[in-house]
Amino acid sequence: MTSTSSRWAFGSARWLWLLGCIAVIAVLPLIFQDSYWRGVMTICAINIMLALGLDFIFGYAGQLSLGHSAFSGIGAYTSTVLVTALGVNFWIAALCGIGAGGLAGVLLSVFAVRLKGHYLAIASLGFAVITYQILVNWISVTQGPLGIYGIPSPPPLTIPGVVTISFADQQNFFYLVAGAAVLSYLMLYNLTRSPIGDALIAVREDEISAASLGIRGTKWKVVAFGIGCAIAGLAGCFYASFIGTLVPDAFFILESFMLLAMVVIGGRGNLWGAVLGAVLLTVVPELLRGIGDFRLITYGLALTLVALFLPGGLSGVLIQFARRFGGGARGALSAKGPSHA
Amino acid sequence: MRETAAGAEVAAEALFSIRDISKSFGGIHAVRSVSFDIPRSKVFAIIGPNGAGKSTLLNLLSGNYQPDTGTQIFDGVDLAGKPAYQRARLGIARTFQKIRLFKHLTVLDNVIAGFHIHRHLPAWEYVWPSRAAALDRKRCHEEARDLLSFVGLADRADTVAGSLAYGQQRMLEIARALATKPKLFMLDEPAAGLNNAEAGFLLERLDTLRKQQMTVVLVEHNMELVMNVADRIFVLETGRQLFVGTPDEVQSDPAVIAAYLGEELH
Repeated sequence: MTSTSSRWAFGSARWLWLLGCIAVIAVLPLIFQDSYWRGVMTICAINIMLALGLDFIFGYAGQLSLGHSAFSGIGAYTSTVLVTALGVNFWIAALCGIGAGGLAGVLLSVFAVRLKGHYLAIASLGFAVITYQILVNWISVTQGPLGIYGIPSPPPLTIPGVVTISFADQQNFFYLVAGAAVLSYLMLYNLTRSPIGDALIAVREDEISAASLGIRGTKWKVVAFGIGCAIAGLAGCFYASFIGTLVPDAFFILESFMLLAMVVIGGRGNLWGAVLGAVLLTVVPELLRGIGDFRLITYGLALTLVALFLPGGLSGVLIQFARRFGGGARGALSAKGPSHA
Repeated sequence: MRETAAGAEVAAEALFSIRDISKSFGGIHAVRSVSFDIPRSKVFAIIGPNGAGKSTLLNLLSGNYQPDTGTQIFDGVDLAGKPAYQRARLGIARTFQKIRLFKHLTVLDNVIAGFHIHRHLPAWEYVWPSRAAALDRKRCHEEARDLLSFVGLADRADTVAGSLAYGQQRMLEIARALATKPKLFMLDEPAAGLNNAEAGFLLERLDTLRKQQMTVVLVEHNMELVMNVADRIFVLETGRQLFVGTPDEVQSDPAVIAAYLGEELH
């Protein structure tokens, strides 16, 4: 019988990586006991989900979106309004948040079908601005700039007679979000190594060539935006529930640039690069809080330097390192960074 | 417009029937009311002087352009309004005059992308990989390597496509297009830029494809290649059909000679 590892496009080394990651996630809250760092870790996991979704859209399908935070905002507001105003169960509301984020992504992909490169970037920026303005001005639903307060934690999960998991507990909440991030990663990982990923990359590399192979660019752009933005929607649900308050500023365009910086610095077209970028750009600024707003300069500087000297991002550098010293690094479809055409 | 006697019998078993197609770009009539049939399992060459409209014609057949007028029936299907990706799915594959590889991907991954339309498991089988997905993946890799052997690139599978030599890039584009398992394979100037050895290898591979009953459309400048491999030759001049016939007929036709070599002065 074939081992499960071959079913999963996944070598045994990759299973070890996965187990290692799960172990790290399990241990992290035990090392960092104070609520400040546990909070940072949770935000980090949320940012990882956002960066993964954006990498799927930008790194794999090649669609430059400058409005990714808008989709997490749409997910966050959808689930929160459902929970606070209509008393819907959090888990059902979260599903609606995923759906709302995904639908909004499909809506934006309509532009992506007609616009390329910089034009799409500007359209997506416009989309994010419009979303922000709606969140600010639709006061009867979103409370506008005052925000929504007192958003409850997700209700506890009870396995009768065994255990009750309360998500008011910070540690459990971290496990919940980190678990969702791991599942998002696995889903996207498998997708990117399937014919679906091949199609996205083909569209990114050359749409006319892709069409000559029967790959319909339009369809795959919609798929990429739908999936990437649905994950952003879920991340938004977690964000609202974790912070407990929701203001439109949390989804301002500046946040989209942060997410883009995570993907670019980590190395686009590499899911673990997105994870690396998200971790770095979440944790390092916390360490730099002492220097106040000067830390914004460090983002700009890091982004500029990476764009200038490391077009493949940090993951690109690491892959080259592994090739040189490990010899055996093999060429996954995404191993080489995409063109910047 | 002239047609040889053999033309009529060929029409009965045509794979691709083109009737009266025209295409203009602004005031330039690139293709003017052209009609012909591409017979099954034959090598059909389209030749003509520079600017005759050969590439435009090929782009019309592949769906990269839509004609202003005319009909195209491929294997019993009316192609009116069908874009390139749908024609690829019906079995029309092509290469490009200016090579369009996925040049940042490996050689193997280029060919694997070509198999896309033949890998249609439901999406969840890939999200949560099933036994079927693993088999699909394995089979696809094997077939891709077979195709690479066919075009002489077996040992370059893990090379990044953009770093191949020019002639190898041409052969890789052929392998990628063949991965779609086409009924009709159209090559746009495949010998352009190849040295003699490479052109010889290309000729031999085209011959193998013909023996495997593949229908091939060849747009080509290299007369020697065309005369060696083509079963029928379609001559295009300034967007108009000048002649259709066998290589021998074409070579002896005064109008063709005039178009290529210029008319004698009287």
